[in-house]
Amino acid sequence: MITLIYRGIIALVLIFVVWHIFEEEKITHQANAALVIIPLVLRFLMIK
Amino acid sequence: MKKHYLTGTLCLAIAIVIMVLSSMNFLSLKDLGEIVPGPSVKEVKMLSDYFEGIQDTNMDTEVYVLEGTKPGGKVLILGGTHGNEPSGYLSAITFIENAVIEEGTVYVIPYTNHSGMTHNDAQEASPQFIHIPTQTGTRTFRYGSRASNPIDQWPDPDVYVHAASGQQLSGSETRNINRAYPGRPDGTPTEQAAFAIAELIRNEEVNLTFDLHEASPEYPVINATVSHEKGMSVAAEGVMELQFSGIQMALEPSPSNLHGLTHRELGDYTDTIPLLMETANASQGRLRGATNEALALTGIDKSYVKSQELGFLYVPYDESGHPIEERVGRHLQGIIEYTKAYSNQYGEKPVTFSNVPTYEALFLEASKEDLGGPQLGKYLH
Amino acid sequence: MSIELIIFLAMIITFVSGCFILKLPVSISMVAAAIVGAFVGGYGFPLRHLVEGMFSYVDTVLVITTAMIFMKVIQDSGALDALSALIIKKFNKTPALLLCLIMLVIMFPGMITGSSTAAVLSAGSIMAPILMIMGIPALETACIIAMGGLLGMIAPPVNIPVMIIGGGIDIPYVGFEGPLAMLTFPLAFLFVLMFGYKYVKKFEYDLIKSKLNNAPMDKYGVKIFIPIFIALGLMVINKAFPTLPNLGMPLIFIIASIVGAFTGERISVTKVCKESIKSVLPVLGILMGVGMFIQIMTLTGVRGLIVTACISLPDALRYIAMAVTIPLFGAVSSYGSASVLGVPFLMAFLSGSQIVTASAISLIASLGDMMPPTALAGIFAAQVVGLDDYKPVLKKFILPSLIIIIWAILFIVFSDKIAPFIVFK
Repeated sequence: MITLIYRGIIALVLIFVVWHIFEEEKITHQANAALVIIPLVLRFLMIK
Repeated sequence: MKKHYLTGTLCLAIAIVIMVLSSMNFLSLKDLGEIVPGPSVKEVKMLSDYFEGIQDTNMDTEVYVLEGTKPGGKVLILGGTHGNEPSGYLSAITFIENAVIEEGTVYVIPYTNHSGMTHNDAQEASPQFIHIPTQTGTRTFRYGSRASNPIDQWPDPDVYVHAASGQQLSGSETRNINRAYPGRPDGTPTEQAAFAIAELIRNEEVNLTFDLHEASPEYPVINATVSHEKGMSVAAEGVMELQFSGIQMALEPSPSNLHGLTHRELGDYTDTIPLLMETANASQGRLRGATNEALALTGIDKSYVKSQELGFLYVPYDESGHPIEERVGRHLQGIIEYTKAYSNQYGEKPVTFSNVPTYEALFLEASKEDLGGPQLGKYLH
Repeated sequence: MSIELIIFLAMIITFVSGCFILKLPVSISMVAAAIVGAFVGGYGFPLRHLVEGMFSYVDTVLVITTAMIFMKVIQDSGALDALSALIIKKFNKTPALLLCLIMLVIMFPGMITGSSTAAVLSAGSIMAPILMIMGIPALETACIIAMGGLLGMIAPPVNIPVMIIGGGIDIPYVGFEGPLAMLTFPLAFLFVLMFGYKYVKKFEYDLIKSKLNNAPMDKYGVKIFIPIFIALGLMVINKAFPTLPNLGMPLIFIIASIVGAFTGERISVTKVCKESIKSVLPVLGILMGVGMFIQIMTLTGVRGLIVTACISLPDALRYIAMAVTIPLFGAVSSYGSASVLGVPFLMAFLSGSQIVTASAISLIASLGDMMPPTALAGIFAAQVVGLDDYKPVLKKFILPSLIIIIWAILFIVFSDKIAPFIVFK
């Protein structure tokens, strides 16, 4: 149960990080955000 | 389309490619390879046979049942309590594939924390696999983690409170099965696995339990056997025999205020005599140099040679390192001698076996170029 | 020159050129440094190691993000203004006592969660407006909050770094309360008075009365404080009743934030979330870069080189090496530093009382949270008070850092003598 809730929290964070990528104008900052996405997605999918 | 949408899509696409490639790698770690059952293996059970709660989970693990031709006592060997201590599970596997049991029954769990074998710890840069050449080709084993896989148990609490004693440890120890004994049927997956092992010991009335570990060379309890109070006489006799075989082995009493470990809780909560053995593994140490498969197999490390010169280590260390044959040999010789000592002292329920490679066969008689895998491979099928 | 040193230099040079010549974000520079380090070390492009390294900080990412959301919620709902008005009204006659109380409040979330970021972003952000209204400049306020976060993380009952250090040589977390309290509380009161007292001693309530925003309190009453009570209440319950399921900081902050959406001024959920993510993303990226960086350092043997070099110094120099390297390595993470360097140093000082020594090393490890590029406590303390740049905060922090180091070393040197008086098992 608690794991599901935490996956939900990750999903929430992910949505806004992806949103941010498309609002951000500098590519280096977009890359920074894309970097953060990687572990979050892998944990959300329970791969790592 | 605006330019920053394009660049954003590009960044996201690169992230996705990285995720796909690394996912393939991480998912491949679930395959722990095959174990070839030896002559005495009568049955391969699952740990969930003793506690259903872990059935169909990543905590469930194989229990090899090796039966003798004559009745006798019962011994349990726990390998792979910590997946980053390869001599533990490689000793258990070597035992399964070679031992011929004469009297009694030996249960062997090669991967005690199965979940811990399926991932590696962040920032430890551990090798993912260990390759050992054998007569039938190269065998691949996993190199795992000290703790259960977070995908099986997450998130960690800030502080781990050991249920039976109230002892507090840092939150990540929640996933360390050797801090979870005697376990709880309604606890975390790690506590459930610990409970299943305690249940196996209670249901099968196991007399003597070995927990095979490794420690970093700078850790004070090393090249040692830790025994519960009730195992002291067996351990003392065994240590003497080990000294005769040329193995330096310290005997440490299990501290009464350190909870959750096999040598404390299995002794307190079951009738078994628990013994925990430690060998020296450079690949888990804090003073180690480059971290890779060779380090795990040979222990050759100039960083540890330097630390030895500076007096930081609790084991001798030179350019030859501590090869896997030496470490597996110590464990197997320990199992041989302690089991003999147990059978001497508890004559009504003896356990005897043969054909288990000794310290001499694995290490002392090996040529230098065979150390670091090939010599051990001669005993793997 | 050893290969490890060459790799380390290659990593440092790449990082510095990325940051200062190419003006890349810190996170991207660290990623570049990690890639170059692996390449120079002969490991090619080890994708798995680069990705795996980032996983050290998945939980930290959630704590930071949810704490930031919580902070924005209580700000937008009016709870912060209301609390400032209330506390100043009650305690305006005894400013020194008020300062010490505020310090304890800032430390509190750190004391029970072991996280300085949680303390800075929750209680720190709640107390910041009060300190500033009382006349303490933003810079000094940021220092007080950062210090509260650091000392709160080390103060009992929960201190994660010392648990990590103790776990390294199997000392159970028992009997640490005394030494940790002696190490932290005197310093906490000293620093809050050092930074703040001269500004508040001539504090006159009537002069600032007009600056206080009483509107939210008048409009919503005590109801407006409910999210704060819920956050603190859940933290206490989780600590006091370990048998209850552990919610963890991220969930506590999320629950409190959801409640906060209904107890005061209307807030826009998307706006709050978007703003929070935007303000924490640079730090999250740095954490990811740091994760890769350490993983490659470990892979190539650079980590071992650093640890061995540090502890191999002669005794007197070893104290200095500890005082320098533990915070420096904490630049990447104070928990990581506690594990990688704290444990070997504890073993090097094994002759004294282990409990006192480990406690003192953990105090030094806390300084890692003020060390750039991560400097979590520093960055967020600056954000909380509205400063764009956190470097002045770090500068102001040099003297207190030295005091902390000297205090900790005194404890280590005299650990045997003081242990009988402060260690109770």
